[in-house]
Amino acid sequence: MISVIEVKNLTKKYGDVTAVDHVSYSIEESEIFGLLGPNGAGKTTTILMLLGLIRPTEGTAVVNGADIIQNPLLARKNVGLLPENVGFYGNLTAKQNLSFYAELADVPKDAAASRVDKLIDLVGLSDKRDAKVSTFSRGMRQRFGIAQSLVRDPKILILDEPTQGIDPEGTRDMRELIRLLSKEQGKTVIFTTHLLHEINRLCDRVAIMKQGVVIALGTIPDLRSQINAQEGEDFEEVFLRYQGVV
Amino acid sequence: MAKKEFLDIVGEKKFLLIFGTLLIVVLVSTFQGGLNYSSSQSSAGTIPRQGEQQGVPGEFRVIGSAQSLSTALSSMVTNFSLVGGVLAIAISFDTINMERQRGSLQTLLSYPIYRDTIIYGKYLGGLLAVMMVSVITFLAGVGVFVSVTGLSMTMDTAMRLFLFFGVSLIYMAIFLAVGLLLSIVLPEPSTSLLASMIVWLASIQLIPNIGYAIGQILFPMRLSFSGGTPSFSMPTGFQAIRAVISGLSPSTTYENIVNTILTASTMQFQSGSVTVVSIDLGQALLQSLPSLIYFVGLLVAVFAAAYVVFTRQEIR
Repeated sequence: MISVIEVKNLTKKYGDVTAVDHVSYSIEESEIFGLLGPNGAGKTTTILMLLGLIRPTEGTAVVNGADIIQNPLLARKNVGLLPENVGFYGNLTAKQNLSFYAELADVPKDAAASRVDKLIDLVGLSDKRDAKVSTFSRGMRQRFGIAQSLVRDPKILILDEPTQGIDPEGTRDMRELIRLLSKEQGKTVIFTTHLLHEINRLCDRVAIMKQGVVIALGTIPDLRSQINAQEGEDFEEVFLRYQGVV
Repeated sequence: MAKKEFLDIVGEKKFLLIFGTLLIVVLVSTFQGGLNYSSSQSSAGTIPRQGEQQGVPGEFRVIGSAQSLSTALSSMVTNFSLVGGVLAIAISFDTINMERQRGSLQTLLSYPIYRDTIIYGKYLGGLLAVMMVSVITFLAGVGVFVSVTGLSMTMDTAMRLFLFFGVSLIYMAIFLAVGLLLSIVLPEPSTSLLASMIVWLASIQLIPNIGYAIGQILFPMRLSFSGGTPSFSMPTGFQAIRAVISGLSPSTTYENIVNTILTASTMQFQSGSVTVVSIDLGQALLQSLPSLIYFVGLLVAVFAAAYVVFTRQEIR
């Protein structure tokens, strides 16, 4: 398998506080990689460093062959992001918003129009194509955020808490969409969450973070065996044992 | 980016409200200024000496016109310095922190574009909006002035008005950059609005007042009596200190530059008569050159500060 992301000793310090502490791992092509941890574990900081929005204190990462410090522009060329608190231009319609992002991503004009339409259909917002984004519910905004992250047709998708604030049906749809993007379109998906059942159902591999450190890394069966989980033991229990809570 | 920013700005209600206000006050003030200009032109010829009535011995004879464009358009200049500054701030005070608050800044910066593109685009969009306002306001204001006064538009007058427009644009661009900088440095739009308004107030009121106060402390004005009449003598030092400190204010500098540019003639007092001496545009520009350099330098410095902070800022 080809590594599309290699994280090497990535560290971020804010004064005396270490938000991310010498984190290293690699993520392979078409993999669904979950970053799991409680609030403040360093998941979002790691993601923002991968995109060059935060400068690492130490270490680096290579995204799609480009170093995030030496060539951040190239590194994020093939990356789509759905941020944790996604926001759009409320005064613009869904179509206008996506067209703006397509223009930013240098998508040729003729290709952009059809891509925008397809993406709006893909996330199930066909009837909201010409509605202003300010009228969207939280769940619709999250789905629309996925469309935005796909507008430049990236190889890597980074989704920060994609199911936050979505109802169970929306969560299921989101899960199916992520699976489709990875397994059928070959996209590498990194997503952060603190919802354990999503990780359990969706991820090929998981990194569990605690206070900026990756305390466990592997497939779900690996993680279970590393901690000698009992047959039938809930993954939530496994996670809490990793966190030292139980 | 600039196109989107421009369209966003001109579509906002606050923009239309302030633009409308600026247009109305400029039209009213140029209309009033035009009427004053016309009446002064028709009555030009004599001005009374201080303390004497017109038509009695001791009257000065005035050779030429005493009313300049700068006097006629003074209220337009003042209104531009007040409302123009507010408009520029209203456009830019939330440029970046609103994107941050809305949650669109991380998305925007996750695209493979340089941050320069974003800050230039946003500033240019604001500048285009300001330019549109200035062009419309100026054409309307000058149109009203010319139709009221019947002033024939000579090349010299047109050039002076064009420079007035250019300097006004730089003035608004300074406040646009101030708003932009504060929107980058301060996380909340409400805080950056407050801070921008404080800068604006300092420019129109505080700095000139500080200049006056420091001038008074260092070179107090003296009260003297001559023939039982009290009079104040203003030491040169006071005027110099006041000019230097007040000159730090963009609003004062703007008014000084524009008044110098629009002053096509000045009165020279000679024994028994007042001669109106013309000042050509080259002289006026030379006279206001230090202020112009400071003005442009201030714009570059504020924008450069905004640029450096934004391109190095961590986006969390």
